[in-house]
Amino acid sequence: MSIPALGPPAGRAAGSVLARRNPTVKLMLLFVVSAVLAVIFDPVTPAVLYVLAAAAVIASTGMELTRLALLHLPFIGFGLGVFLVNALSRPGDVWWTAGPLRITVEGLSVGGSLALRTLVIGVLAIGFITSTDGVRLMHSLHQQGRLGPRVTYAVLAGYRMLQEMPREWQTIRHAHAVRAPLRPDGAPSRSPLAFGRGAFALLVISVRKGERMALSLESRGLGLSPRTTWRRVPLTGADWAMAAGVLGVLATVVVTSRMLGHLRGVEALLS
Amino acid sequence: MNSTAPGRQHARIRDPWTLRDLVLLVVLGVVFGFLYWVFVQAWTALSIAMGPAGDLSQHVLAGSWLLVAPLAIAIIRRPFAGILAEVLASVIEVVFLGSAVGPLLFIAAAIQGVGSELPFAATRYRRYTWLIYALSGLLGAGLVFCYSAVLSGWIGQDLLVVRLVIHLTSGVILGGLLAKVVVDGLARTGVVDNYAIGRRVEADRVIH
Repeated sequence: MSIPALGPPAGRAAGSVLARRNPTVKLMLLFVVSAVLAVIFDPVTPAVLYVLAAAAVIASTGMELTRLALLHLPFIGFGLGVFLVNALSRPGDVWWTAGPLRITVEGLSVGGSLALRTLVIGVLAIGFITSTDGVRLMHSLHQQGRLGPRVTYAVLAGYRMLQEMPREWQTIRHAHAVRAPLRPDGAPSRSPLAFGRGAFALLVISVRKGERMALSLESRGLGLSPRTTWRRVPLTGADWAMAAGVLGVLATVVVTSRMLGHLRGVEALLS
Repeated sequence: MNSTAPGRQHARIRDPWTLRDLVLLVVLGVVFGFLYWVFVQAWTALSIAMGPAGDLSQHVLAGSWLLVAPLAIAIIRRPFAGILAEVLASVIEVVFLGSAVGPLLFIAAAIQGVGSELPFAATRYRRYTWLIYALSGLLGAGLVFCYSAVLSGWIGQDLLVVRLVIHLTSGVILGGLLAKVVVDGLARTGVVDNYAIGRRVEADRVIH
């Protein structure tokens, strides 16, 4: 068991154009695009944005299409659920009906919009995560994002802990499997109660470990400020160009969509 | 450095955060981030299989996302511990675990942190009864529901009230009462003796 997003970005994405950009700028752009999309409720605008975003991610990371498609799976699953529930449960002009089920035009429109929004944020998040090293991001947030040194090092210590956690979890589950009563077929219990016991053990071990970590960080002077840093994460003209490009495209799409009469805001939920 | 006079009962706002407290917040975020991740592995498949009902079933577990805030407040006992814990947990989920919600999770986390923290703040971080924990879960779930209702387009659906009821119930049980069970369990193991919660127990022992 390993966590896919942990560890340095793998494959071609590591040396790609996107991987060389400043992590704080990437995170801020992801945040801005998500926030703008959160108030758009028509299907056309996010559909256009999705095509552009997917093209940009493929071009700037050089990711294989099959890998990109695989990483899409959770977003597609989530989006499909949101789409179906809106199509079936939103009142409005009935488009199709069968027994107790009815699909409305409003439901299709809002559901489609929300599902496409999930995909836009999803494809951008894929681009961000596959091209960004977590440690570099925290250093960048410290240097450019003015995140305090103590919070930065605390999160980095937590990151290290997270990397070891799958192994810790396996150890606990094995230890419980040795002692706990087994199921009739000899397998260890998979009940929520067993999960809870393991979770509590993990919590206790981690709190204890965290206290030791804090002590060792303090004894190395990492709780003090101000600090100098050894490796600076660069913030270059290319980063500003990327920010301008992304925001420019976003603004153009939203304004064009409004001029063509497609754009709808939160009022779409109430009509 | 951390000695507290026995009679000194109120939360100290002006003292800077110690590294120990900050690391504890991060540790809580990491542990719960990891547990959600383990859980979501199974959950995504299940919710796809359930189709439209999968979208509803998310509310059953909604309260478990609130758990970090009351834990942090009860252990550290200082203002903003709950909000900070929620936000740090969301950072770990988005940045290191690749959550499907994306960075909007930071805002949701801050909102539910505020909701969870309000009841404790109202008692000036002095009372840790079942009622306060339950209120914390209720408010946390309620506030974040309003936010999600707009963001996920729940407003205007036939199911809005059903969603709200399941969501709030889950908040009270998983995000409130369960937190007290976990906090009391942690206190019994002794791992949090060196935090404010342990010092408070020590102080009570001196007085009585």
